[in-house]
Amino acid sequence: MKSTDAIVFIVDDDPAIRDSLTLMLDQESIAVESFEDAESFLNACQPQHLGCAIIDIRMPIMDGMQLQEELSKRNILLPVIFLTGHGNIPMSVRAIKAGAVDFLTKPVTRDKLLASVRSAIRESENILTENSNHQNAQSRLADLTGRERDVVLLAIQGYPNKEIARHLGISHRTVEIHKSKIMHKTGAINLLDLARIAHEGNLSS
Amino acid sequence: MTSLPQGLGFQTLFDATTDAMLLIDDSGHITHANLSAQQLLAYTEKELCGLAIDTVLPLQYRNHHRYYREDFYHKPEKRPISEGKALVALGHDGQKLSVDISLSPMKEQGQLYILLTLYVADHRHRTEEALRISEERLRLAKEAAGLGVYDFDPKHNILHCDERIGELWGADSDQVVTYEKFIASVHPEDFKARQAAVDRASDPTSNGVYHSEYRIINPKDGVERWITTVGRMHFEDGHAARLIGVVRDVTEQKMLERKLHEQRTETETLFTQQVAASTASAIAHELNQPLGAISAYSEVALHALQNKYIDTIKLKRALEGCVAQAQRAGKSLHELLAFLHKGELVSEKLDINDVVKEALDLTLSNGYGGFHPVLQLQPDMPQVLGNRIQVQKILVNLLTNSVEAMRGAGMPSTAITIQVRTNAEMNMAHVTVQDSGPGFDPEIVKHIFEPFFTTKSKGIGMGLSISRALIEANGGQLWIEPVTQTGATFHFTLPFAP
Repeated sequence: MKSTDAIVFIVDDDPAIRDSLTLMLDQESIAVESFEDAESFLNACQPQHLGCAIIDIRMPIMDGMQLQEELSKRNILLPVIFLTGHGNIPMSVRAIKAGAVDFLTKPVTRDKLLASVRSAIRESENILTENSNHQNAQSRLADLTGRERDVVLLAIQGYPNKEIARHLGISHRTVEIHKSKIMHKTGAINLLDLARIAHEGNLSS
Repeated sequence: MTSLPQGLGFQTLFDATTDAMLLIDDSGHITHANLSAQQLLAYTEKELCGLAIDTVLPLQYRNHHRYYREDFYHKPEKRPISEGKALVALGHDGQKLSVDISLSPMKEQGQLYILLTLYVADHRHRTEEALRISEERLRLAKEAAGLGVYDFDPKHNILHCDERIGELWGADSDQVVTYEKFIASVHPEDFKARQAAVDRASDPTSNGVYHSEYRIINPKDGVERWITTVGRMHFEDGHAARLIGVVRDVTEQKMLERKLHEQRTETETLFTQQVAASTASAIAHELNQPLGAISAYSEVALHALQNKYIDTIKLKRALEGCVAQAQRAGKSLHELLAFLHKGELVSEKLDINDVVKEALDLTLSNGYGGFHPVLQLQPDMPQVLGNRIQVQKILVNLLTNSVEAMRGAGMPSTAITIQVRTNAEMNMAHVTVQDSGPGFDPEIVKHIFEPFFTTKSKGIGMGLSISRALIEANGGQLWIEPVTQTGATFHFTLPFAP
């Protein structure tokens, strides 16, 4: 996925705000989809979207904060930029703590909005990459047996085969057989590669 | 010893004595009875003479008396026999009489006589006892109520007062609270008001009722206490002669009242602040939405113009958006103003002088008392047209501001003077409120009617801007005199009723 595929979602109950911001982003050739309430946005939103959401804090039914909560519950990792008429400090602290990337006060200038949107899209790219690496690594580790996992954990800590054998109470030869199976199953080219896969796949005893 | 004059025999003297006397022989029989004894016991002289003395004493005492009498005959000496014991004599008609008896033995020609004098104790005792009980009751009630009693002679400035007053006024138990001491303890700020109450009660055309509340300062420890007093002036020949009444210490009650009042004021301020904050927030939101859109549309248009290729369709959309949003903002404002003025204003014909007096009373009862109001109200003012509550509110607001400003400047309440003048101009009633306080800086005067502008630590800065809006809604004007020599001067006008 490239950043040109990114979509910016605008969620604001005020049609004029939606329209003017859409025009502004459109001038920068950024794709925009806008929603008048949180519910219709949630219906349209997918976990693997690249982009960000610009969300009005104050909306009639589900407000911006609640929407942010709902997104993280649904494991939608879209970066959130909050828009507010009168931002106060406690509210912005709460929003940032909950994972918002920015907190903008209306009226927002073009420069601020674009900077914020671009940084949010970069953040989104990172999240998606991390996420796909994680999934990739997990699938590679999925076929390992329990004993093989033990061997991986010790091997990536730098223990030589002899030590691993002593640690697990098995023969040196068996460790060698496990290792060759592990490299085959995970497709790791060397021990360093195996360590990366184990890290990305959150492998632990 | 000279002999009695001719004609003043034994019987004459015997009968002239006001005490009842009986002469008894040694067999215990009455030989002589004087007139008083006959009247007391309701017997004739004939009936009494020869009667055994035991007859005039009720049954339950007879034996005792007989024994006592026999004892007495053996050791005759003059003595009262009823010391500490109430003896009862029995009248002919069966009436029991409490008596003190004294016995005087006499010997005549070898014969022993006893003169028995009966003192009627009954009436005197009963009156004294009743008085004692009544005084005791009064004393206990006084103590329970914490009342101090005074009796004041205003002609000679002589004061009698009880221990409770001595205690409140900080006098030692052996000291007397003189009128001078009494007066010296009255708080200087309350002195005038107390004296005015005394003067009112001293007016012979009044009913003499005296009621006053004032502070006293204990000369011993300097502690301030609130005193409430009620009394009545008694007149002699149309002159105030005697003021009798009670005082009570109401310090605790006063403190409680003050605390409650402060709490109430605080709650009210908090509430007003809350209302102001929510209103401001609603207004902010209503205006900020279109402003946000206008700002974005404008930047879109600006950016579009900077490009070589101008997308006229989008430029048009952005500019149309600007216009529509500016219109929307204006509409929101008008709707908001219409909403704020929704409450229908009920105007009535008002006597502005009455409204001034009412507002003054309200201010005083709101805890802003103690200042010196000077009213210069033009008599025969034509009636004005306005909403009574609103005009009152404006006046209370101006008076309160003045008192707060002067208190804030550290002026004692008695030095605070507020003048309220009314006068009729061409076609408007003109009200002036002038205080003797620190006045205003020219810089402050510029902003004084702006909303949320305040110089008070606890104010929200809406009082004067609301007052001005209210006066304008009533068809008048409110303004401040730009620079005054002394204090702040506010003016407002109201139209006369047609």
